[in-house]
Amino acid sequence: MDLLGDSLVIGLTQYAPLILAAMGFALIYRLSGLINVAFSETITLGAYIGVWINTTFGLNFYAVLLPAGVGAGLISVGTYFAVFRPAKQRNVGMLEMIIISFGLSVFLRHGLQFIFGYPVRFFDVPPPDTIRVLGVGVSTFRLLALGSVIALALGLFWFIQKSGLGLQIRALAGDEDLAQASGIRPLFVTVLIWFIGGAAGGLAGAFLGVNSNVAPLLGWRQFLFIFLVVMVGGVKNIGGVIIAGAAAGIALAAMTLELGQVLYAQLILITAFVVILKVRGRRAVEVEKV
Amino acid sequence: MNLDWLDAFLLFGLFTVVMYAGLGLLLHLQLGLARIANFGIVGFWGLGAYAFGILLTKVDWPFGDPWPFLISMVFGMVVAGIAGLLVGWLIADLDTEGVLVGTLGFATAVWILATTEQGLTGGALGMGGLRFPFDIGSVKANETLWFVILTLVVAAILYYVWRVHRSPYGRLLIAVGDNEPLARSLGKPTFQTKLWLFAVGSAGMGLLGIFYGVMVHLLIPEGITINVTLAAMVGLVLGGTVRVWGAIVGVVLTVGFFDIVVQSYLPLPRSWYTQAIPVLREMVFGAALIVVLLIRPFGILGGMRRDKLMRSMHGE
Repeated sequence: MDLLGDSLVIGLTQYAPLILAAMGFALIYRLSGLINVAFSETITLGAYIGVWINTTFGLNFYAVLLPAGVGAGLISVGTYFAVFRPAKQRNVGMLEMIIISFGLSVFLRHGLQFIFGYPVRFFDVPPPDTIRVLGVGVSTFRLLALGSVIALALGLFWFIQKSGLGLQIRALAGDEDLAQASGIRPLFVTVLIWFIGGAAGGLAGAFLGVNSNVAPLLGWRQFLFIFLVVMVGGVKNIGGVIIAGAAAGIALAAMTLELGQVLYAQLILITAFVVILKVRGRRAVEVEKV
Repeated sequence: MNLDWLDAFLLFGLFTVVMYAGLGLLLHLQLGLARIANFGIVGFWGLGAYAFGILLTKVDWPFGDPWPFLISMVFGMVVAGIAGLLVGWLIADLDTEGVLVGTLGFATAVWILATTEQGLTGGALGMGGLRFPFDIGSVKANETLWFVILTLVVAAILYYVWRVHRSPYGRLLIAVGDNEPLARSLGKPTFQTKLWLFAVGSAGMGLLGIFYGVMVHLLIPEGITINVTLAAMVGLVLGGTVRVWGAIVGVVLTVGFFDIVVQSYLPLPRSWYTQAIPVLREMVFGAALIVVLLIRPFGILGGMRRDKLMRSMHGE
């Protein structure tokens, strides 16, 4: 029973930002059929924007979230216009598209390293109090962060599933021609999706950064986890991503506690997810949309 | 023979270029012909090197050189090949995303095992004790001989790839890459083809990893990151994914520029080489992938030249 409580609290507080990031990733993937490897750098950039404003202007962490989210969203839209839109107009295939996004990811990651160097950066936040939840010591800051992430994730979920713009997004993702025929402006909705997806990534990056530190590899280290969660959780339904992400986070925390080594837990999770994909047998259909 | 011009930096640069050319050639069969984006090259490369190193250094060999070395080498290749078979089986019927997940996941798994299994791999400190199977005098002479042997191996890989292009097997790979359901409907065993392709390619990648590990005498988890995959891929894409010589042209222009020209011939301040140049190298590689695929998707050498049979069929 102890293990269950421990892993529930640790898993959720530690991996909640990744669920938010996975939702953003899934949104872009669902619209464009594009595996955007460079999404990991959107996460990193959100963390860097956050830490820069936080330490330069001495702003409170929660005040920093807005510019971090908006900044990462704008960068995400920027990558769409600079790379992915021209690529689509040139009819680049799915496989080449993944390699392009991989190249963009490498370029941005090492660009950040070139500018900021190797030393990691830290958010300037007051030392947190610790309280006990289900018998586990958790900092109040992490609990607050968890609450914010849940609120943001639910807000995003509501926006996609219930609001009018969300309906347009889902329509465009479902059938582009039909959506256009019913009066949806594809460019506006596409930009909106890239912005929201990027903003979710940037916010996740800020939360990840405040939990540990900010380094150029911050997003890339989480990419495989996010990618696996989206693939297993299902692209059709953003709720599936939340469930798969939470389950994976709790399982990771439980296995880390049992095995005493986070890397073994990751190894088991990677294997399990790839086996799930294999068993479920994804049909090999090329999606020709970006 | 006077080899004074060949200093340690230049020799290592040449070694790196030839090794990446070999990786690019093997990737060419998978990415260029069968159109499977293998992002896990570094996993097979590192697994071969580590399997070789573990058997060579951890076993109390009852007989002398060069047998332990050769047996370990075969062992490393077999382990990498079996891993290739397994990964190939996992991803053979998945779509492009599934392939990306499977191969990236495999590379990460190898990195995790290299870090955690300290008893076998030395963990983050690395595994030393990898030495040349011969001793012909100076360090430089040994390294030069090792470079010559590597060049012969890569030449053999080049010959193999050249043969594949002119064989029914090569046409089968192209058919699988072009339209897999069609190839299967015509009775071609596409699943087995992919398995075989991955097993052979991975064993070759493992062999190249062994060559590299022996050259640097040390295997560390930091050395088996995605950057190895990137260097092979950017070389292949720049040169031309579907052409036999694409990987070689591309790797000479990319890895060759940074590891030979910049390293040995450009008058840059010494302090740049430790921090700025490696980061800049990866930045340029990433940008090159984007620019080439946007502007000239088939790379410098351009589209595919079919063999005689195909040309006569299409009336070219």
